[in-house]
Amino acid sequence: MTAAQPLTFHARAGEKVRDLRLQAALQKARPLFVGKRAKGVAALAEDGLDFERLRSAGEEIRNRVLADLDVWLEIFEERARAGGAEVLWARDGKEICDLVIDVARRHGVSKATKSKSMLSEEADLNAALAAAGIRPVETDLGEYIVQLAGEAPSHIIAPAVHKSIDQVEALFAREHGRPVQPRSSADIPAMAAEARAVLREHFLSADMGITGANFLIAESGSAALVTNEGNGRMVTTLPKVHVIVTGIEKIVPTLEDFATLMRLLPRSATGQTISNYVSLLTGTRREGDGEGPTKTVFILVDNGRANLLGSPWQDMLRCIRCGACMNHCPVYFSLGGHAYGWVYPGPMGSVLTPLLTGLENALELPRASTGCNQCGSVCPVRIPLPKLMHRLREEQVVRGLRPRRERLMIGAWAWLARQPKLYRWLAARAARYLRWLAGDAAAIRVFGLAPAWTEGRDLPVGPGRTFHELYAARKRA
Amino acid sequence: MSSRDEILQRVRAGIGLGDAAGRRAAAEAWMAGRRCGPQPFLGGDLLGRFVARAESLSSSVERIAGRRSLPASVAGFLAAGQLGSAAVIAPELADLDWAASGLSVAARPAVDRDTVGITGCFCAIAETGTLLLLSGAQTPASVSLLPETHIALVDERRIVGTMEDAFALLRAEHGSLPRALNFVSGPSRTGDIEQTIVLGAHGPRRVHLILAAA
Repeated sequence: MTAAQPLTFHARAGEKVRDLRLQAALQKARPLFVGKRAKGVAALAEDGLDFERLRSAGEEIRNRVLADLDVWLEIFEERARAGGAEVLWARDGKEICDLVIDVARRHGVSKATKSKSMLSEEADLNAALAAAGIRPVETDLGEYIVQLAGEAPSHIIAPAVHKSIDQVEALFAREHGRPVQPRSSADIPAMAAEARAVLREHFLSADMGITGANFLIAESGSAALVTNEGNGRMVTTLPKVHVIVTGIEKIVPTLEDFATLMRLLPRSATGQTISNYVSLLTGTRREGDGEGPTKTVFILVDNGRANLLGSPWQDMLRCIRCGACMNHCPVYFSLGGHAYGWVYPGPMGSVLTPLLTGLENALELPRASTGCNQCGSVCPVRIPLPKLMHRLREEQVVRGLRPRRERLMIGAWAWLARQPKLYRWLAARAARYLRWLAGDAAAIRVFGLAPAWTEGRDLPVGPGRTFHELYAARKRA
Repeated sequence: MSSRDEILQRVRAGIGLGDAAGRRAAAEAWMAGRRCGPQPFLGGDLLGRFVARAESLSSSVERIAGRRSLPASVAGFLAAGQLGSAAVIAPELADLDWAASGLSVAARPAVDRDTVGITGCFCAIAETGTLLLLSGAQTPASVSLLPETHIALVDERRIVGTMEDAFALLRAEHGSLPRALNFVSGPSRTGDIEQTIVLGAHGPRRVHLILAAA
């Protein structure tokens, strides 16, 4: 597993806030994401569909699977095998890499084209493949851009949302061996066409396709793949080997359940009524077929997920990775995805990263929230994200993971709160002190004891008497 | 212990339930029940709905009297767009008289140099303006994928309301699923450079639907 980088959130956040190019990219993307989804959801009413009812149906489907996940996994495995696929299991990221490399070696693979797989990011699979002499080529345009940049995706559905057109141009010029040209938004179709031509060669020459799966269908043993670009279809049609790396929680029982979730996923992600390509892939090429993989391998991955079953965070496993939570998050749009330090950004990342990489490795993430619950209110499967973050904060305290200074201060406060006389006396002194500091003003502009607190705001100050004092005075009058 | 057994054991520890046989039977019963979630109310005009949705997804649409007229209408479309006169076709369309319309077609899976691909479809879905294509020897998936222009013949009698309806039709007519079910909704697109939508990402730039009444 790629380790989350411990305690870097604050440091990164500062850096990202000052990155003007990133800020411009985020400010441009935010209204698009929010507006498109709102429009897509509103359009449901024209068909007599109620989004809240759909959300409940989605939540119910995902809960049904999680309640009996072992049974659904066994059914999926049986039926996928019956369809001609091989089903392998991986406990963690290292096992993913070992299994993929082993499949590649068995089939003499030297190049693998990839459609988006967040699990392969969890496993840092590209680095492992490269080290094993197998060239991984990301083919989603956004993933291709971040691969060229040597970066990780900064958004789960728009991986290169943080990149400006000039940055993309510089990467393309370098990779495609041509001089950098001045670019404006009118050139974006030409740039997409350039990437298309380069990636087409890779599609045609790769020996193996690696994808994730948006869902696994238990009744048919199929993988569902949702894309707009068509790269998912290329990667699963042209190479002789197809490897699907996905989490054990991705199962849905039936095709009908899948149809319900497809009314939620594209709308929540991009506001589309449906993505351009939705593929259900079952087994290998059939007799008489002139194309399609002759070998299909599922790798079902735990990597920390099973531990969430029966825990206070089980709801998180309902996630269908639409990205709506980050698209509506004020913290995400202030910082971008890289500030979160691991694979998953935004509110879902703030919950998943500590759970999958260890609470102690991501202490700041559950606090990267304003508590506004925009994420919770747009989540298509009703994951109570702020509640889960809050529960993680509690858990940090229970496990003694908070910094010593914070624990001492809170301990002191707790002791003081149990000494009413002393508390009142000290509170009265503090109220007078603050009033004196403020002078004639209603608020303190710079508070010397905690200057960072007043960097972006003023500290409002009361009348110089505590509530107790004022109350007692009023009763006397 | 194998990874498989260890993972399943962890899952069971988390769920904390016994009676594996009872839970299995309940799962089988759920699958057999095929319960549908909330579905849209589409009214009676599925054809009109399909056309409106397909056009909103940047596909062009024309209507012909019957399947036999397909080569002539394809020839007209290609000529109007200066798209040449050669195409790769799904073998299921090989019985039509393409040469009579001046077209040179090859019935096989597509290759990179093919610029026009012509397919039928298993059915079409009015809710979203989507085609459902099944892979198979007679219907290779690459024909609707590799060429820059994809032309699809849609039998108007096979326009269904929803994805659930398409699955029901599939179960009625096919025993098991083919290797690939591809739901196709317009030309391929990307928004990955500055969120600007560009058509023709990796798949077709242009999708033309020819609806046949019979």
